[in-house]
Amino acid sequence: MAGMDARSGGRGSKAAVGYPAAALIVGASVAILKAIPNLTDAADALGLILAVFLVAWVWESGPGIAAALLATAALNFFFFPPLYTFTIADSRNVVALVVFLAAGLAIGRLSALARLRLRLLERERGDLLTLTALSQAFLADTNRESLLGVVSERLRRALECEQVAILLANENGALASAAASGEGEVRRDLAEIAYHQGNSAAFPSELGGTDVYLPIPLGVHRVGALAARGVRRSERMAEGCAALVGLALEREKFLKLAREAEGTKARDEMKSTLLATLAHDLKTPLAGARASAENWERRAGASGESAAVGDALERLTRLVDDLLNVVRLESGTSRPSRERVSCGAIAEAAVARFGGALDRHALVVDVASSDLEILADPAQITEAVGMGLENAGRYSPPGSEVGFTVSREGRSALFRVSDAGPGIAPPERERAFEKFTRLPRDSSPPGSGLGLYIARTLTELNGGTLTLGASASGGTSFEIRLPAEPGP
Amino acid sequence: MTRVLVVDDDPQIRRAVRDALSREGMDVETAADGEEGLRLAGGETFALVITDLSMPNLDGLELVRELRGRSAVPILVLTVRSEEREKVRLLDAGADDYVVKPFGVAELVARVRALLRRNAAGAPRNGVRFGEVAVDLDRQRVTRGGEEVHLSPTEFSLLRAFVGKPGAVWTHRQLIGAVWGGGAGVSNDTVRVHVGSLRRKLERDPNRPRFFITEPWVGYRFTGAD
Repeated sequence: MAGMDARSGGRGSKAAVGYPAAALIVGASVAILKAIPNLTDAADALGLILAVFLVAWVWESGPGIAAALLATAALNFFFFPPLYTFTIADSRNVVALVVFLAAGLAIGRLSALARLRLRLLERERGDLLTLTALSQAFLADTNRESLLGVVSERLRRALECEQVAILLANENGALASAAASGEGEVRRDLAEIAYHQGNSAAFPSELGGTDVYLPIPLGVHRVGALAARGVRRSERMAEGCAALVGLALEREKFLKLAREAEGTKARDEMKSTLLATLAHDLKTPLAGARASAENWERRAGASGESAAVGDALERLTRLVDDLLNVVRLESGTSRPSRERVSCGAIAEAAVARFGGALDRHALVVDVASSDLEILADPAQITEAVGMGLENAGRYSPPGSEVGFTVSREGRSALFRVSDAGPGIAPPERERAFEKFTRLPRDSSPPGSGLGLYIARTLTELNGGTLTLGASASGGTSFEIRLPAEPGP
Repeated sequence: MTRVLVVDDDPQIRRAVRDALSREGMDVETAADGEEGLRLAGGETFALVITDLSMPNLDGLELVRELRGRSAVPILVLTVRSEEREKVRLLDAGADDYVVKPFGVAELVARVRALLRRNAAGAPRNGVRFGEVAVDLDRQRVTRGGEEVHLSPTEFSLLRAFVGKPGAVWTHRQLIGAVWGGGAGVSNDTVRVHVGSLRRKLERDPNRPRFFITEPWVGYRFTGAD
């Protein structure tokens, strides 16, 4: 990177004043010291050293050295005998002059260095203040358009330059001007190099100050280039500005993503609310019908008709539940919660909720791995497992045995419901998972044809698999596998 | 006569519930939304309030909160299936039980009776019987079919909580509060394990419990003596 000093333009004029000033101040000191009677040589020397310090402080190194040399000469000429000649009578004064010159040079150097440090600190402080103000201004801008609308003018003022251009890459990686302030053309080739290769360029400008071309960083990548012409501030300051532009653009991008996510969330919440209302509105007339039918049955006594109404309402309820489940799953609002839950708790809930479907069967529960834990939505997995219990109740003969086991299988938790029904032939097994599929199983009451589809979708949402196989007794084995959590 | 308030925005439900409870000899008053329900409940004394969860103006959850703020009247909520979190919120807000729509009349009547029985019982008795089990709360003795059953102190606390509120649903949190003093580190699984051992000691078929019923992902219910 080419070196740069934003004040280089001011240096010549300052030096031009510094050297005559050095002569003048040393001369004035001599005049004052001469005007005070009876001063010792040491006092004269200290007075002149003071003059050297002053010159070096104000005009720094060059004039400081000149002042030290002049002061040494003046000490010899005006104060060491024989006066007003450069002849040195006492050889000890030779030593004194050499010591004085060395001290003068050292003090001048130190003074100049201290002043330089101070100036750098002040400049850095100024840079920091400017960058702080700039970052605050950028933070106030929450969208890209308004950010780009004001960014170039803000940078132009911050960098005290004539012209600023911000070039950003489009989707194809080609640079295009995104914001500009001030008159004139920037060099595209240098902007391209800054963007593509990350190399900065800085060189004296025909407008005074410096021209800089810098990459605009975004994380570890680059999004474009910053060109500034006639910059009066430091190059580090310009780099800071480029980094700020990158940050502001990145922040704007994240804000946009956050706003989008917020929108999606709001839409999902609205869908969920609508579905809850739909569920309530569908179930309420069903509840009214069922309660009324049962009241009628209680008054008039049970009959074939009342039983038929009861059965029809039960099937309708099941169908409404299944359809609501499908709508919920396909609307994408069924995001599973992820809770650490024991398989024992799931087995208990599934039997409690769906065990009623097996009232006329011999249910044998074996939860060997009760403490085994999974990371899943407990209600969704309960629903999926329960579908297995319900199907076993529906498709196996009353009185037969239904086994429900929970065990560990490798790194998985396995929930298995096996029945002694007619089973499903291997080629039919996958088809059973399709929506509205009803396999020709004799004497079975018609279901909605959605149960297995819902159960598999719920299982897969939670990172598991659901398959059908053959049970030991020739019936169906319904198997859900979910990744087991490592033990505590 | 036992007075029951039914709050539901659906006229068919109001009529069906009124018919069912009237046949049981109860006096039923109805309201079409939460605000009307609250006004009626403020005017006279009811032995029980049955309310729908989702209603215009003031919904069931708000009604439960308002009612619970002023009286200890038993509250039964009519809900639809699948919203376990909603049920837990209702129960934690002070509802005593819920029935899922579409409910059976027999089930509804049984729940209503259980809640009314508890209310009528007044001061807790020191002896409770259910099935073949007899519990002596004072002497902390439990017998089943005449034979003494040994319960751990935690199991006995759990049993004492259950029999103190027959018919009502306990959320996991409420049970942890009542039995373990809200103890940190007590999980739902801890509750499940202790309820499981109560069932093994007191139920005839622990896999198909009659008295200590699981309410999936909500908590437990003690059905009490029938």
